[in-house]
Amino acid sequence: MEQNEVILSVRDLEVQFTLRGQTLTAIRGISLDLLRGESLAIVGESGSGKSVFTKSFMGMLDNNGHVSGGSILYKGQDLAKYTSSAEWRKIRGHEIAMVFQDPMTSLNPLKTVGRQIQEAVELHQGLKGRAARQKTIEYLTDVGIPAPEKRYRQYPHEFSGGMRQRAVIATAMACNPEILICDEPTTALDVTIQAQIIELLRDMQKKYHLTIIYITHDLGVVAKVADRVAVMYAGDIIEIGTSYEIFYHARHPYTWALLSSLPQLGVKGEPLFSIQGTPPNLFKAIEGDAFAPRNPYALKIDYLIRPPYFELSPTHKVRSWLEDPRAPETAPPDTVQRMMARGREAADRV
Amino acid sequence: MSEQSREKLLEVRDIHVVFGKGRKRFEAIRGVSFDIYQGETFGLVGESGSGKTTIGRAIIRINPVSQGEILYRGEKISGRIRPETQRKVIRNIQMIFQDPMASLNERAKVDYIVSEGLYNIKGFSTEEERREKVRKAMLDVGLPPEFASRFPHEFSGGQRQRIGIARTLIMNPELVIADEPISALDVSIRAQVLNLLMSLQQQYGLTYLFIAHDLSIMRFITNRLGVIYKGQIVELGDTETIFRHPLHPYTKALISAIPQPDPLTERDRVTTPYDPSVHHYGQEQPQLTEVEPGHSVLASREELEAWRKALQ
Repeated sequence: MEQNEVILSVRDLEVQFTLRGQTLTAIRGISLDLLRGESLAIVGESGSGKSVFTKSFMGMLDNNGHVSGGSILYKGQDLAKYTSSAEWRKIRGHEIAMVFQDPMTSLNPLKTVGRQIQEAVELHQGLKGRAARQKTIEYLTDVGIPAPEKRYRQYPHEFSGGMRQRAVIATAMACNPEILICDEPTTALDVTIQAQIIELLRDMQKKYHLTIIYITHDLGVVAKVADRVAVMYAGDIIEIGTSYEIFYHARHPYTWALLSSLPQLGVKGEPLFSIQGTPPNLFKAIEGDAFAPRNPYALKIDYLIRPPYFELSPTHKVRSWLEDPRAPETAPPDTVQRMMARGREAADRV
Repeated sequence: MSEQSREKLLEVRDIHVVFGKGRKRFEAIRGVSFDIYQGETFGLVGESGSGKTTIGRAIIRINPVSQGEILYRGEKISGRIRPETQRKVIRNIQMIFQDPMASLNERAKVDYIVSEGLYNIKGFSTEEERREKVRKAMLDVGLPPEFASRFPHEFSGGQRQRIGIARTLIMNPELVIADEPISALDVSIRAQVLNLLMSLQQQYGLTYLFIAHDLSIMRFITNRLGVIYKGQIVELGDTETIFRHPLHPYTKALISAIPQPDPLTERDRVTTPYDPSVHHYGQEQPQLTEVEPGHSVLASREELEAWRKALQ
């Protein structure tokens, strides 16, 4: 974070899928610089393209999808140009690894957990035999699995959900990656376990100097882990900033909507704030601001011209016409305003 | 809300649920009792494996009860019951399942999925009537009725959960057991589905048994709450009372683990894990005892005294 070195640079990325002869644009021109050592959280509802976006860094798009524009620069290479799986194999795991949502399905039930981690150790670190086994057991200890020697020989079904997620993280660590993408790492887990896994990921980040991208819809998790937050809607980043900026100074109506739909902010007996309508159909070209039809603050121009980014600070950008000097003054909904004010006060005191 | 004036819809009396036999015997539920009153939302919260789902399933007779009994409007619905009672249970108690991706028949159209319950109880006389009922159920949950001819894979998670709700609604139930109905959905959709559940409750006077592990949602939606740990209720009472002054260390641990959407508090937050060895029960079996009106805790006599003092 100190040197702000860019590790991965995405420029005007566009990803399209072909479905039944129709083209769906899942990512509509995203630019993003990932800084070495930071943790970036990507939030947004399902279908906003947050998973597709990160999968495009790993060549893991489904067969009917492809990068149709823009570039992904990583260590001088443009990943967007990669086509063969031989090329991708150099990136996957070795440079960028992933932890998936459901530890039940991301481990092979027919192999012992130790074998699966050792596989990664052998493949990515060139160790063999006893040395590889030794290393594997080190990783198991690292991720806080008690009795690693015994656990090494056990199968995934003998592990609890939290332990399984730990094993998945060990596998990812064994690849020795630069960037770790965590796709909803805690959604399938209990609250008490969730906290432990988050804690573990933060430890791993420190120990191995990782850059982590969290994909999540849990704003509580985001608040805990993220240095920066990117809010995605309909295949686009509509607001990005440091986690303080997003939680205490959010400016995009969609970010407000996400914050105010949290049950923590709800008043009993009253309906929770929820975003009306459905996300836009990405098979069609989107005119103007994609969020406009669901946005109570929408201006006329929102239906016509896609807003540019307005820079509120060197780190805080928002894609909304409301920031234009000609736009009327707007304030976030009361509940969000109260929450943000509380946060700002606390931040001032520190 | 005075509890005396309200009618008990469901009474769970000291139930035990056992899986396996002999050496593999595992008692998943170890003597759980609670009442659900007409029109309220009762929540069961606990970590996975605590048995909260098993209780829900025991009520709709998926898992047999080995001891104790469950009464529905004063009538026994657990163990051996008459076929008429069984039909009544099916009609009046319905369940919404956790994972809308797994709980819908992928090969059936929505029309069939929603009306499957009706087919089972022959809840319609003409095809026309059935279609009308499907139409109404779909509208109730906010789905266009035209979607009835589609297959589940064409829907998003939130829409699929709406289908799951539609198929319980069509049965015109009194008690709906919602087993983690929103934990598989994302934030904005969660709010929609929660709002939907609340408005349906008002519209049809439904009673909910809400099973979840997420306490922030529980605080928002439930009137009363039971906290389950390893097959026993450790704390039971009005939701707000429990949140304001939780007594049992497990409840405290759970509440301390609720993530807050605030980076500053999150950074410094310490979660207190639950350590069962803080209890010194010895020979004494802890009992679920009322410490103040509408608030009971599983405690030994010694703990009870300490907590009662703490309350004053």
